[in-house]
Amino acid sequence: MQRRSFLWRSGGGFGGFALAHLLGREAQGASKGRPEFNGGLHHKAKAKRVIQLFMSGAASQCDTFDYKPLLNSKAGQQWDPGEKVELFQSNPGVVMPSPWAWKQYGNCGKWVSDLFPETATCVDDMTFISGMISKSNIHGPATFMQNTGFILPGFPSAGGWVSYALGSETENLPDFVVLPDPRGMPPNGPANWAAGFLPAAHQATTIRVGTPAPIHDLQAATDAKYITAQSERDGLALLKQQNEGHLADHEGDSRLSARIASYEMAARLQLSAPAVLDLSGETKATRDLYGLDAPLTADLGQRCLVARRLVERGVRFVQVWSGADNGFPRRNWDSHENLAKDHGELGTALDRPVAALLKDLKARGMLDDTIVYWTTEFGRMPCSQGSKGRDHNPFGFTSWVAGGGFQGGVTHGATDEWSYKAIEHPSYCYDVHATMLHLLGIDHTRLTYRHNGIDRRLTDVHGEVIRPVLA
Amino acid sequence: MRFCLGLFALAMSAAPPVSYERDVQPIIAERCQGCHNARAALPLMTAEAVRKSALLGAVSGERPRMPKSGPPLKPEQVALISQWIAEGGKDDSRGWWSLRPLERPSGRNSIDAFVQAKLRDAKLEPSPEADRRTLIRRLTFDLHGLPPTPAEVATFVTDPAPDAYERLVDRLLASPRYGERWTRHWMDVIHYGESHGYDKDKPRLNAWPYRDWLIRAFNEDKPYSRFVQEQIAGDVLRPGDPQALVATGFLAAGPWDFVGHQELKEGTTDKNNTRVLDRDDVVATTMSTFTSVTAHCARCHDHKFDPIPQQEYYNLQAVFSGIDRADRPFDDDPTVHQQRQDLLRRKQAIQLRLQPLLDRVEFATSAEIVALSNSIQDASLLITHMGMPKTPAEAAQKAELEARRAKDQKARQLLVDAMVGPATYAEIDRMKAEFKPIDDQLAMLPQPRFVYAAPSYFDRAGAFRPALLPRPVTVLVRGSVNSPGAPAHAGALSAVPALKARFDDAADEGIRRAALANWITDRNNVLTWRSIVNRVWQYHFGTGIVESANDFGRMGMKPSHPELLDWLAVWFRDDAQGSLKKLHRLMVTSATYRQRSAHRADAAKVDGENRLLWRMNRTRIDAEALRDAMLSITGKLDTTMGGPSVQMFWFKNDHSPIYDYARFDPDSPGAYRRSVYRFIVRSVPDPFMDRLDCPDPSVLTPKRSTTITAIQALAVWNNAFVLRMAEHFAERIGHAQDPLEEAFQLALGRSATTEERRAYAAYAKKHGFANMSRVLLNTNEFLFVD
Repeated sequence: MQRRSFLWRSGGGFGGFALAHLLGREAQGASKGRPEFNGGLHHKAKAKRVIQLFMSGAASQCDTFDYKPLLNSKAGQQWDPGEKVELFQSNPGVVMPSPWAWKQYGNCGKWVSDLFPETATCVDDMTFISGMISKSNIHGPATFMQNTGFILPGFPSAGGWVSYALGSETENLPDFVVLPDPRGMPPNGPANWAAGFLPAAHQATTIRVGTPAPIHDLQAATDAKYITAQSERDGLALLKQQNEGHLADHEGDSRLSARIASYEMAARLQLSAPAVLDLSGETKATRDLYGLDAPLTADLGQRCLVARRLVERGVRFVQVWSGADNGFPRRNWDSHENLAKDHGELGTALDRPVAALLKDLKARGMLDDTIVYWTTEFGRMPCSQGSKGRDHNPFGFTSWVAGGGFQGGVTHGATDEWSYKAIEHPSYCYDVHATMLHLLGIDHTRLTYRHNGIDRRLTDVHGEVIRPVLA
Repeated sequence: MRFCLGLFALAMSAAPPVSYERDVQPIIAERCQGCHNARAALPLMTAEAVRKSALLGAVSGERPRMPKSGPPLKPEQVALISQWIAEGGKDDSRGWWSLRPLERPSGRNSIDAFVQAKLRDAKLEPSPEADRRTLIRRLTFDLHGLPPTPAEVATFVTDPAPDAYERLVDRLLASPRYGERWTRHWMDVIHYGESHGYDKDKPRLNAWPYRDWLIRAFNEDKPYSRFVQEQIAGDVLRPGDPQALVATGFLAAGPWDFVGHQELKEGTTDKNNTRVLDRDDVVATTMSTFTSVTAHCARCHDHKFDPIPQQEYYNLQAVFSGIDRADRPFDDDPTVHQQRQDLLRRKQAIQLRLQPLLDRVEFATSAEIVALSNSIQDASLLITHMGMPKTPAEAAQKAELEARRAKDQKARQLLVDAMVGPATYAEIDRMKAEFKPIDDQLAMLPQPRFVYAAPSYFDRAGAFRPALLPRPVTVLVRGSVNSPGAPAHAGALSAVPALKARFDDAADEGIRRAALANWITDRNNVLTWRSIVNRVWQYHFGTGIVESANDFGRMGMKPSHPELLDWLAVWFRDDAQGSLKKLHRLMVTSATYRQRSAHRADAAKVDGENRLLWRMNRTRIDAEALRDAMLSITGKLDTTMGGPSVQMFWFKNDHSPIYDYARFDPDSPGAYRRSVYRFIVRSVPDPFMDRLDCPDPSVLTPKRSTTITAIQALAVWNNAFVLRMAEHFAERIGHAQDPLEEAFQLALGRSATTEERRAYAAYAKKHGFANMSRVLLNTNEFLFVD
């Protein structure tokens, strides 16, 4: 509703069709959140927005949130789970205990490793999905799967679907924003957050936090010296005048008025985007909370804080990446060689900012209707690869969610005694996506888009809402 | 809507019998077949099944049991079904429209006659012909993807000859710019890209010869049958023609999982899955592109809506089970080409005998061997992870690891050798010696060129090895590689009447592909001919006669002008002998195409979407046309044709390659070439093109979406390319006697009005021509074609 009234007010009365164009809703199955459902599409929404934290490279479950004492008691023995094990790169090595000690936290008594001591203080607000399975043990396809529900390229990501379903709550910022790791793109690159076959309006806008030009083409390149603030203003006015004259001769085409309006929205974005990224107004307490002034946590602290500021201003879906590509020196969670070192560095950089995000959202009363979703493409093996690393494990890993209608302090599903295979309540990304959509007021089986003969869904033909973890 | 029209027709006539096809089937399709599909316990896919079902009872009454979702059927709908049953439940369906025999509808003979008949039925008048300025702009963008020059506009506008328009069409079709434009459409349809996609998105440096083949094929007006055949099996059907091999770049156009193919061990679940999905892409691309059929919907189960059993989907996979995507050598000299291909075939035959012996070595295993392999890998991992040693201690550690690895490798080799035995090694050596004379002959040949295509034999890279023979394919229950079912046999679809759907399970995979190529291009393949004329129509008119250009099945849209579609298909196949240029000419010279695009409130009330074509559709030019138009009007456009693609990004060939568009200078060498020569990266799209709806090259795109967003406005307003073009444009018009007139003529093909002159002159005076040019390049008039 808010989006509509804005355009009527400032856009000089663009018709509903123009609006539909601008918001990418002219296409089939146009849908948007409904006020009687609290912004949901099919039923009452509990959550309004999502912040997804993606651990690129595959974060280990058995070194973070999936505690298995057997790994300590059988440490160094040849690992034998009683069946043939198919590994990505290697042959099964010996049982490798986690380099970190484990402690219990919160009222729920959740075991968390010493890699995440601060996040661990939030366990009573977190729901652990510990029986996750991936359909692929290759980074590319598996990363696609966690983002889009398919192990193939070319499908829209969850953020794109949510944008398509609900739109944003603001005209001044995009629906879907991605904050990549400054060290580089994850496997598959921006294809992870592409619109796929959905209209381009539902692709993510990438913001490179902390760089001189964080949004591509937000401002004219500085080497175009002929552009001044005044030429910009006068130019946009001339353009508007020209386009309105053209419109008068070409009535009945909503695309033409939508394009006029798009420049006005662009101008607003030019003002609002830098404001979101300007953290100077945040208090010392907030800066400390996110670890902005400590070198190790500054980057993720900044990006988690920006994520909070984005959702605060009405962005629907923000994705924060920890980890870049699979290059060397290691810059993601793919710890084949030296898990203690690489997980150690990444985990330490992440722990405080994530804890801060949860606490900050909670303190602001936003955790009730904001889903925080921590995920990775698959897990890691309980045995060693070489002497210090772990190979891929698609058969069992952990994701966690918090807020937005999820019950805190619970663990759903479990792996076997080794943290090798999900044996209790196995879940796929389909189930997590279905559950998130459910909380956003969307029936995942009814959010469809026809492409190449198939009514496509984020959840393909799968997905069960995980009811036991709903508050 | 369809239903309402049916009812309307019913009310108009004096109680005609209810037709299953016209009246009942649409209701069943819309409300029942979603669940009661071919796979359901109670399928309702035929008239007979509907008649025999208890449907009427289930949908009528106060609280009907069916449909389970949505509102109950409307009383009129129930009445229709009831009447149809009362009248005997006759099946008057002629089968699904796209599978009916292709016959030339009689009595009429032109596009306009078909279109106008429909308009008359709806009591609509066509629009008058557009003015010449509009027509030349429309035609030039349509056929070339470029604006006309002011001189071209002036010549055409003042040409007094009665056939001025036809001659313009002929001139445009004869220009090489035509092939470049229509190749770009084809690239959308087949999701052509020049990097693999997925993780480790490596560039494909030899994809471009196929792109050049396409441009030549369009420009030379290769008959459509040959156009199709060569892309699927040119290497087999025309072995003496090197370019026919280049055409098979089609088979390799889509994405490819580098890690899955090259890094995963043979025989693992993920490796097998990688191959199944890779073939799925080839099947989906081939069948969607050429036959507008969604065969890929039958990968996990029988097609839910169309008569395509799962078995036949896997039969299609078996057609392609002998190929992979890789570089393939070819020679421009046909004699050399033939020689090389023959020699490679001989090497392939040797490799086929040799491979099992090599596998004995590769897969030799024992507990000791595994232990040593692990130790070797451990050393390798730690060495890689360390990178360049930074301290003497690290250097020492690295040296120690390297020594350990060398020792382990030697020990491992000894164990493997003992296990394999000298007899096998002797046999391997003997066979390898057979390569020698062939390699000597190959060495005598000139250097070949390469095209990224679909060979069955190539040099192994990592774990990526050639098939050599077609790999066995079975039906996969629920699409899972862990649930193999019945074996598949090379073949196509039995639903297409009058054609043999089963091919030979030839050991030479090429024979299988050739059989499919012939099946698709058979004059009796009713899908093929309908599919292509519909595609061409869509690009000219904005919307296809069938809106779902890749789906002529029950989940697709029905044709707006079925008779026209059939007439065009037969005309194209028989009269035009598959000449696309003749087809273009036929379409763009029609009065329908030449109509004005102006809105008419009265007509819009009847047909708001203009499905009946009471006017021409206005189009927003696409990303490539916009970029090329800017290059063209600045005078910078470099019309060099062909050759390696221009990498319009900063590139680092890292472990995972890095592509960065922000670090590219729009004035770099080659940067003024047409967009069709742009190097297309899958994982990282060019943000400027992306925001203008240039499709994801991993998605089959039968039709682009046209969106309008704030982020797109920012791209056109601020992108470095546009800003630089504005400067070049300013420089160009600055040399003219009347810069403003020149600017309007170049950019918009017309003079500025007095009011425009005043406004632009004032702006230019204050801020200069570059700023003024930037505004012009952003106008709706520049981006839309009437």
